Amino acid sequence: MTKGMKKYFKKKIFWFIITFIAAVILNFILPRMMPGDPVNAIVGKSISPGATPEQVQEQIEFYKHQFGLDKNLLGQFFDFVKNAAKGTFGISYSQYPRTVSDIIGAGVWWTVALQLPAILTGWILGNLLGALAAYRRGVFDKVLMPLSLFISAIPAFGAAVILLVVFAVNLGVAPVNGAYEPGLVPGFNAKFIASVISHYQLPFWSIVLIAIGGQAVGMRSMSIYELNADYVKYSRFLGIKDGRIVRYVFRNAMLPQVTGLAMSIGTMVGGALVAETIFSYPGLGMAMYSAITQSDYPVISACTLIITLMVLIASFCLDIIYAFIDPRVKAAQFD
Amino acid sequence: MAKKILEVKQLTTKYITRQGEDVYSVDHVSLDIEEGKSLGIAGESGCGKSTLALSLMGYYFPPLHYTSGEIIVDGKNISGLDPDTVRKTVLGSDVAYIPQAAMNALNPTRKVGKFIEDVMKAHEIKMTKAEVREMAEQRFKLVGLPVEALDKYSVELSGGMRQRVVIAVSTILNPKVLIADEPSSALDVTSQKLVIKMMKDMMNMGLVKSMIFITHELPLLYNVTDDIMVMYAGQIVERGSAHDMVFDPVHPYSRGLMNSILVPEEGNRDVKLTAIPGTPPNLKHPPAGCRFAERCRYAKPACFYSVMPITEFAPGRTYRCNMSVDELREVYAREDAE
Amino acid sequence: MKHTLKNIFHSPRFVVGFTIFMIMLLTVLIYPYIITRDPLAGLGKQFLAPGTYVSVYDINNTGTYRVELPDAALKRMESSVPMEDRETILAFLTAKGVDVSGLDTSNDKVDDLLALWKENYDEADVKANKYEGFSTQAKRKALKRMDTRLNGDQSAAAMTVTSGEGEDAVSKTVADTDYVRVDEVANAITLPLGTDNFGRDTLTELVKATGVSLVIGLIAGTIATLLGLTVGLLAGYVGGIVDDILMFIANLFTVIPGFVLLILIYYSVGQEARGATTCAIVIGVTSWVWTARSVRSQVISLRNRDHVNLSKLSGHSLIRIVTTDILPYIASYVVMAFILQVSSGILAEAQLSLLGLGPKTTDVPTLGLMMNWAKLFGAYTSSNAWWAYFPVILVIALTSFSLNLMNTGLDQVFNPTLRD
Repeated sequence: MTKGMKKYFKKKIFWFIITFIAAVILNFILPRMMPGDPVNAIVGKSISPGATPEQVQEQIEFYKHQFGLDKNLLGQFFDFVKNAAKGTFGISYSQYPRTVSDIIGAGVWWTVALQLPAILTGWILGNLLGALAAYRRGVFDKVLMPLSLFISAIPAFGAAVILLVVFAVNLGVAPVNGAYEPGLVPGFNAKFIASVISHYQLPFWSIVLIAIGGQAVGMRSMSIYELNADYVKYSRFLGIKDGRIVRYVFRNAMLPQVTGLAMSIGTMVGGALVAETIFSYPGLGMAMYSAITQSDYPVISACTLIITLMVLIASFCLDIIYAFIDPRVKAAQFD
Repeated sequence: MAKKILEVKQLTTKYITRQGEDVYSVDHVSLDIEEGKSLGIAGESGCGKSTLALSLMGYYFPPLHYTSGEIIVDGKNISGLDPDTVRKTVLGSDVAYIPQAAMNALNPTRKVGKFIEDVMKAHEIKMTKAEVREMAEQRFKLVGLPVEALDKYSVELSGGMRQRVVIAVSTILNPKVLIADEPSSALDVTSQKLVIKMMKDMMNMGLVKSMIFITHELPLLYNVTDDIMVMYAGQIVERGSAHDMVFDPVHPYSRGLMNSILVPEEGNRDVKLTAIPGTPPNLKHPPAGCRFAERCRYAKPACFYSVMPITEFAPGRTYRCNMSVDELREVYAREDAE
Repeated sequence: MKHTLKNIFHSPRFVVGFTIFMIMLLTVLIYPYIITRDPLAGLGKQFLAPGTYVSVYDINNTGTYRVELPDAALKRMESSVPMEDRETILAFLTAKGVDVSGLDTSNDKVDDLLALWKENYDEADVKANKYEGFSTQAKRKALKRMDTRLNGDQSAAAMTVTSGEGEDAVSKTVADTDYVRVDEVANAITLPLGTDNFGRDTLTELVKATGVSLVIGLIAGTIATLLGLTVGLLAGYVGGIVDDILMFIANLFTVIPGFVLLILIYYSVGQEARGATTCAIVIGVTSWVWTARSVRSQVISLRNRDHVNLSKLSGHSLIRIVTTDILPYIASYVVMAFILQVSSGILAEAQLSLLGLGPKTTDVPTLGLMMNWAKLFGAYTSSNAWWAYFPVILVIALTSFSLNLMNTGLDQVFNPTLRD
């Protein structure tokens, strides 16, 4: 490891820590700035209609103590950090007395199982399409390009809704919502797995479609840029075969696309919001959505913290990976 | 007379624009180079010299297209061969190319040594990796480049080093003709010198049998090449030895070109610099007569419509003008006296 | 300047994008003068399908004309014998073993089908024989119901309509060739896109929502661009500690994803304050980062150009250098960034609203809110009311499509190297 590299990594780690701390503080402060008292709302829902004011007060005190809201802001902050470090993230407001970690744990596997394959499939297909589009330009530019520009302008939720309506509601070839048939008990049996697979299709393809769109457009312009690069002409005049030159070009165009992959893996939970809410898929995005609609701050905070941490880790890994796989970045960073 | 290593006869190539128009940027160009000699090609930007460099390779891809003429390298006519044969047997070994922008001429994500392997593979040369490595190391040592450069990416090398690596890679197959398109234009003076010295050394060592050097910096040509050829609007307007071309240019354009720059020679201290007014014509619609007529201060009405032939007026000296050489010299002498 | 504009309008992409955008903008501006009713007025039942609605009551008081359409009887038959019934008849006849060769469910065979049905259907016979597919009691009852229905319809030759009550009652016989002119009916309304979940006219609401969303995009885009431009200029031109601090903040904003900040800030603002303007401001405040970054890098490359140095040496003030020596060079870039910011602002609003984080109101429609309402009221699934959400998706897509086209068009003009 050279001196430049060491300095570079030290700087990166320093940034990582600073931003993480700032993110934790933001995650703590912002939700607490919101007007209104969440405890009143919970008590209002849970208490019997004939309760005396004393009983109401008692209930309020009870919940305040449960959520740690009777402490001052600094005390609450330490609780928040402690809970986050323990991984429990405190107790959910809307699903009392479930812990936040319990809610998140229930959703996280659905999200990962849905998103990870979808992102990867979309990334690979998108890059292939983009590269092909750049290589065979003629027809593509005149006809397909405006079309694909229009298709890529359709927002993610729009595409999801259209898939849902066409395939689930009208054609009836896929279930409308959920991750499996409501009556089934999760387990390793053929019926359950078949149900999971059929419920998997629409959310999966809606994510894949969007990922393809974004990647293909980026990969196409990256490839065109590389195809026009001077080294292509030079390599040609040295007698290098076209096939080999195409490999050079696509490798060079592909490397920056790794950023897109890492970032969509990093923002997986956020990306899951749209698909999961439209298809009522019981992942982390859905948990976050219902937390938002029910003002369940501990859950929101935990989700946003997880997202931030994932993005941080993704971008940190990217920096390190790039420094090794892409000499262009290496030269620019280690000077 | 020494053996002719390159003979070009009436070569014409064209660009086809996106609107489908033909632009003949190399128009019936004939030239030849003897073994061990070098030829400089000069002209303003846009006069077709870079296109000529590309056209001489015998390997065309859009938007550049071959139209007519012959390119004969060491007795072998390469203009009729199919592209894949040209790629395998001509490029790099018969004719090699050094591009203008060496900064980006190397693939940024391939190590120099690996790239040399690719070049060997492309020409179906049966060598193991170790042999290629051995050969590349020897060549780098021979031309005064550090062997470590083989294990580096181009981005890790300095600009001057990159250009010299490109030269070394281009000549790795000992080409008969080396075509260098402004190889030093983007470099600082020190690197320029190194690049020029390297190319001269390669000629002297016999690694390269002949060289075509394209530039707009005439002083460079005077010091580097044996002959100089001036191009204007896709045509050759004059050719002669470097000394004659600098001190006794005959064609008005050559004279204008020489007068617009300083050749570092004694006695030039008080020479006035004059630029040629105007710009080269648009080759989508080339003028019917002399292409330079519009900018020529000596042009007569006939110049605008009569086709200009290229004529040899002394051994190794050709020019393309309506006026006779004596006429021109007389006018020049009068001007200089004023 | 004039030359640049001419170039821009010679770029086909820009022109197409600009035309689409202008058509939408003009529609938003002119539509309210043509359809003057309140875009949010409830017109009746939720999710009425698109079409022209004519008051049945008023038809009776409208003068009639005699019109004889050659295929009137057939059309009447078509609408009175639904496709399902024709299929059932065919299935029944097949099950009973009647020869149905040459028969199908098309309109010109309906008469034959009905004749065969009359001839072959007998309740007792069905009960006794238990034909395949019609053996259960439910199926048999369905057949009987259908028989009643078919017999009822066929006897309708002329109709008597009575208006008024008691002694004032006036009866009028309506012949099958009587027609009214829709324009003469006192109350008729054309709803090209039906009604939404609140029973509002979807098209009128959509036009209004498009306007509001454009304003949101414009506000968000202006804020983001101004913020980004200021930060970028300061960080790039002043450099040093100012640069470090500004870039630290920018880094924070990149690492914490925009929508997370949006959600967090949105919540801290509180529900009551969440109007369309707040929404726009919050979006603007969270999306300036990439503009700032790219402005900064451009300014850094400009900072040491000769003309800037000359200006510095002449003792010009910072503001003067920035406005006369730097801004003109990045102006085209800033315009492009602004267009993209507007487009992403509109999208961001739509995303937020869809998640229930949009403007907390039913008084102002936005494109996102219309999507959200459609979702909450089951337009996608149970109601299957495509007109309540599909046009909205189309408008969003068209907006960002036109803006993106304009942007790539500008890019081609300002960065000629991209023009191959």
